[in-house]
Amino acid sequence: MNFKHRMVSLMVCGALLSPAWMAMGETPPAPATADAPAADAPAPPASGAPPAELKTLDQEVQGLKKDVVDLNKDLFVLQEQLLFPANTQVALYISMDVGTFFALDSVTVKIDNKEVKNYLYTAREADALLKGGVQQIYLGNLKVGKHELVAFFSGKGPVERDYKRGATINFDKGVGAKYLELKITDRVPKHQPEFMIKDWE
Amino acid sequence: MRRALIAGSLILSAAMAASSPAAAPSIVGKEAPDFVLRGLDGRNLRLSEFRGQVVLVNFWSRSDGDSRQLMPALDRINITYQRAGLVVLGVSVDDDLRRSKEFAAAMGVSYPILFDTGTKIGKDYLLQKMPMTILVDRSGVVRYSAVGFKRGGESVYLDQIRELLRE
Repeated sequence: MNFKHRMVSLMVCGALLSPAWMAMGETPPAPATADAPAADAPAPPASGAPPAELKTLDQEVQGLKKDVVDLNKDLFVLQEQLLFPANTQVALYISMDVGTFFALDSVTVKIDNKEVKNYLYTAREADALLKGGVQQIYLGNLKVGKHELVAFFSGKGPVERDYKRGATINFDKGVGAKYLELKITDRVPKHQPEFMIKDWE
Repeated sequence: MRRALIAGSLILSAAMAASSPAAAPSIVGKEAPDFVLRGLDGRNLRLSEFRGQVVLVNFWSRSDGDSRQLMPALDRINITYQRAGLVVLGVSVDDDLRRSKEFAAAMGVSYPILFDTGTKIGKDYLLQKMPMTILVDRSGVVRYSAVGFKRGGESVYLDQIRELLRE
C-alpha cells in the first residue's frame, strides 16, 4: 500500500472514531445526592409508550448514524480525489444498447499496451447493462499526453457463435479528468453488433 | 540459585514457544473476498450475487486425493440442502485448465464448478493446503473454514450448515 493509500486510510479511521472520542470528552453525570431518587430506571407509563428519555436517546442515535453516513460519503469523495486527482484521472464507462446480436461475456482493457482491466460479466450484470445501466469499468491515473486505449469484447454473437471484437481509440490526456465510454450497439442493417469508444458526454 | 531459576524459566518458555505453533492467519469472521469465475457450463458466477444465501465454497485440486474424496460428499450435501437455501460452489485451482475441466465433467457433480488459474483468489483466501472448505453466512461473512478431508468427515460441515441455515 503506497503512502497516499495509508494516509487516506488513517484519515478514514480517525473520522469514524471521532464521534466516539467526542462522546468520551463529555462531562460525566453529577454524582447522586442523598435527596436524589434511587438509580432505578423510570417505570414506563401506563399506556406502554417509550419514556421521553429513550425517545431522545433514539433520536440522538439516529442523528449520529446519519452524520456517520454523510461523513463516509464525504470521505469517499475525498479519497477518490486524493487517489485519482483530476489532472491524472481517467475513467472508463461501459454501456450497452443491444439485445439481438450480442451477449456480453467479458471485457479486457489495455492502455498503452498494458492490460489494466479484465472484467467477467455474470448474467445479472449483463442484464443490468441491457436495461440501461452504465458501469464504471476502470478508474486510474495517466500522465498528460497521447495514449492508446484498446478494448476487447467477448461474448456470444449472432447465431450463438463465440464472438470477439476489439475497438481502439487514441486520445490526448489533458490537464483535466478524462472520461471515455465503451458503447455496444446493434447495427441492424448488417445484423451485427457495433463496438465503439468515444468521449463521455 | 537465582541464575539457575532464570535460566530454567528462559529454557522453558523457549520450549513452549517452539512446541506451540504460531496462530495461522484465518479469514473466519471477515467478509468473504468477492470473486467472479467462469464455470464448467460457461456461465460466470460472482460470489457476492449469492448474498442472502448460505454458501459453501470448496477449493480443490485434481491431483489431491482428499479433494477427490470430498466432491461426492459435497454433491450429497448440495442435493439435500439446496432447497433450504444452501449454495455449493467448487473452485478448481489447477493450472492445467483442460485436464481440470475433463476431471470435473467426469465427476458429474450437481453443483457449479468454477475454474481459477490466477493467484489472487488463493492469496485472498489464504489457501495453503487442499482441499479447503469455507462457509459463508447470509451477510457474506466467513463463519467456518476447514482444511483437508477424511471419509465420513462431512458431518462437521452438516452441523455448521444447519446452524447457518437456521439464522
